[in-house]
Amino acid sequence: MSSVGLSDIPRTTSFRLALLFLGLFGAASLILFGFMYWQTARYLSNGLDDWLGNEMASRSAEHSSERMRQLNTRATLDPEGRRPIALFDAAGHWVAGGAATLPTPLPAMDRPFDFMLRRGTEAAPFRGILHRLASSDILLVAADMREVRQFRDLLLNAMASGALVVLALGMTGAVLTGAGALGRIDGVTQAIERIVNGDLSGRLPSSRKGGDVNRLIQVVNRMLDEIERLMNDVKGVTEDIAHDLRTPLTRLLAGLERVRRRDATAEEYVAAVEEAIAETKGILATFGALLRIAEVEAGARRAGFRTLDLTTVATDVAELYEPMAEGKHILLSVEDDVAAASAEMAGDPSLLFEAISNLVDNAIKFTPPGGRVALRILRQKDRLAIEVSDTGPGIPEAERDAVLRRFHRVEKCRSTPGSGLGLSLVAAVAKLHGLDLAIEDARPGCRVTLWRDGIPGRQQQPDFAASTSSASSSAAIA
Amino acid sequence: MTRVLVIEDDRRTAAEIAAALGDHGFDVECAYNGRDGLLKATAEKYDAIVLDRMLPGDLDGLGVLATLRTIRTETPVLILSALSAVDERVRGLRAGGDDYLTKPFEFVELTARLEVLIRRHAMPQRETTLRVGDLQVDLLTREVRRAGRTIELLPREYRLLEYLMRHAGRVVTRTMLFEEVWGYHYDPQTNVIDVHIGRLRRKLEEGELPQMIHTVRGSGYVLRRAE
Repeated sequence: MSSVGLSDIPRTTSFRLALLFLGLFGAASLILFGFMYWQTARYLSNGLDDWLGNEMASRSAEHSSERMRQLNTRATLDPEGRRPIALFDAAGHWVAGGAATLPTPLPAMDRPFDFMLRRGTEAAPFRGILHRLASSDILLVAADMREVRQFRDLLLNAMASGALVVLALGMTGAVLTGAGALGRIDGVTQAIERIVNGDLSGRLPSSRKGGDVNRLIQVVNRMLDEIERLMNDVKGVTEDIAHDLRTPLTRLLAGLERVRRRDATAEEYVAAVEEAIAETKGILATFGALLRIAEVEAGARRAGFRTLDLTTVATDVAELYEPMAEGKHILLSVEDDVAAASAEMAGDPSLLFEAISNLVDNAIKFTPPGGRVALRILRQKDRLAIEVSDTGPGIPEAERDAVLRRFHRVEKCRSTPGSGLGLSLVAAVAKLHGLDLAIEDARPGCRVTLWRDGIPGRQQQPDFAASTSSASSSAAIA
Repeated sequence: MTRVLVIEDDRRTAAEIAAALGDHGFDVECAYNGRDGLLKATAEKYDAIVLDRMLPGDLDGLGVLATLRTIRTETPVLILSALSAVDERVRGLRAGGDDYLTKPFEFVELTARLEVLIRRHAMPQRETTLRVGDLQVDLLTREVRRAGRTIELLPREYRLLEYLMRHAGRVVTRTMLFEEVWGYHYDPQTNVIDVHIGRLRRKLEEGELPQMIHTVRGSGYVLRRAE
């Protein structure tokens, strides 16, 4: 469906709805009109019958001479014979009064009946009543029905034309709403087709009028925003992976080709194989780290969750890195406010250990000799936080979001060994544990905080860590 | 000769594992699906089984393992697995696995772990003193002596040494040491373990004593009687 076609309109929901209402309204009107018509017709014919009865009662009660006079007067007053009163003898022959003939066979006496009388050249419908007088003559009182019929026809006509107008208006309305809906659906369909064909920036057209369809469109558009963001993430990551793995693969290939090219000795071969193994291990480690991040991000590691003490994990990390720090003449300390509430939380100890050790590893790597690296456990009421701060060069504010991305390494430190995946893993682990991650300027140095409030889902900046712009040159995250 | 059964559906991987274990001095047999693997494991006597977690057909790795443990076959099993969505390590060990290795792995890691499994299974640890050359560890008092002189060790250093002593003469990888001594499960990529070993080494060699802990390049460490 690429444009609004007239033939498509009958298939739209709006059109069908309009048609349905039209049908219902039409049926209701038909019943109402029918009832009105029936009532009016009954009123008219009852009135006529009453008149017939009254007139018959008066005339038959009169003395015969008086009756004759009345008959003649009426006949003179009513030359067209609209309300004839006539007297017939017992055999049915006309005797006196207005122009009329008795219908054959003779209807029952004293009961109104319909019959035809000749008026001019045509037969006209009449309603009449017969009464047999004491003299066994028959008296007929009749009335022309044409006026009543005309009135009824008029009423019918009026109703029919009204119905026609309603039908025409209803159909037009149905077509218009159908076309409107079709146009809207058509726009949405085209937008979706564009998105399906690869234009992820496309959004469904939403009008300013609001309404339920618009609400739906807005929700879908928000979903599309999220999908676009995720797709861009995936694209970025894929490009980063391709780029970052090409370098070691190129080195691997170059090394292997070098020994093949040269007339190498056995020792040179051994060295080349060792080099190739080391390079391959590096590549595998990168893949392993990527898979690990993916696994953690998928939230699948919750199987390993148990209650743990963050202080214990932090102390273990510090103990693991203490000799390394000492070797670099860096003071590594763990500060814990023991008096405060316990640092217990649900988590995967191995993952938290890995995340914290990544942070400490980075901190030690980028802090110059003589500096300090501090692990701090902060416990305040509902809030639990662990921060790793150093006295290194810090991370420029502009790069603080970027360092959490896979493979990102601060430009100046590309020569430092590392895969650029460490902080991505930290971010993934933090997310899995419902922890927020903040990178701040420790003036001097860098401070990374993993923290959470007691109420999960509530997010706010930690007030114990001021986030200001950094003037420090640059740091690297490996 | 130490007999090892490898149950792995990918024939090339199985052949590589068999070659690596063969080079290490093991007698290796391969099975390429769960059914054959289970048949061999129950029909014959093996010192250890290397079991791929993902096997084609109706009987996967965990199924083989569960069946083996149900019929009380206590052969140590090392599970191999690709990283996947669920925390398989926990599941694999709960199902009765003795150790767990994630693909891709290094063969030195596999052989070192198998050695440890086989030895632990063959010789229950009942000794109260470990002795390698002139180095002696009292497991009850945690006293470490070398050449008659007491060596003061930090708790972690003691545990590193104990582990190396228990597996003296065999390669122990960094990951194994880390898992055993620190109790966390992941592969620390940095040389942080080396620094600990360096400290321990210096303490053991104090007074110009000959080297006992040797670095095996690209693999790990081995503790040997001083020459």
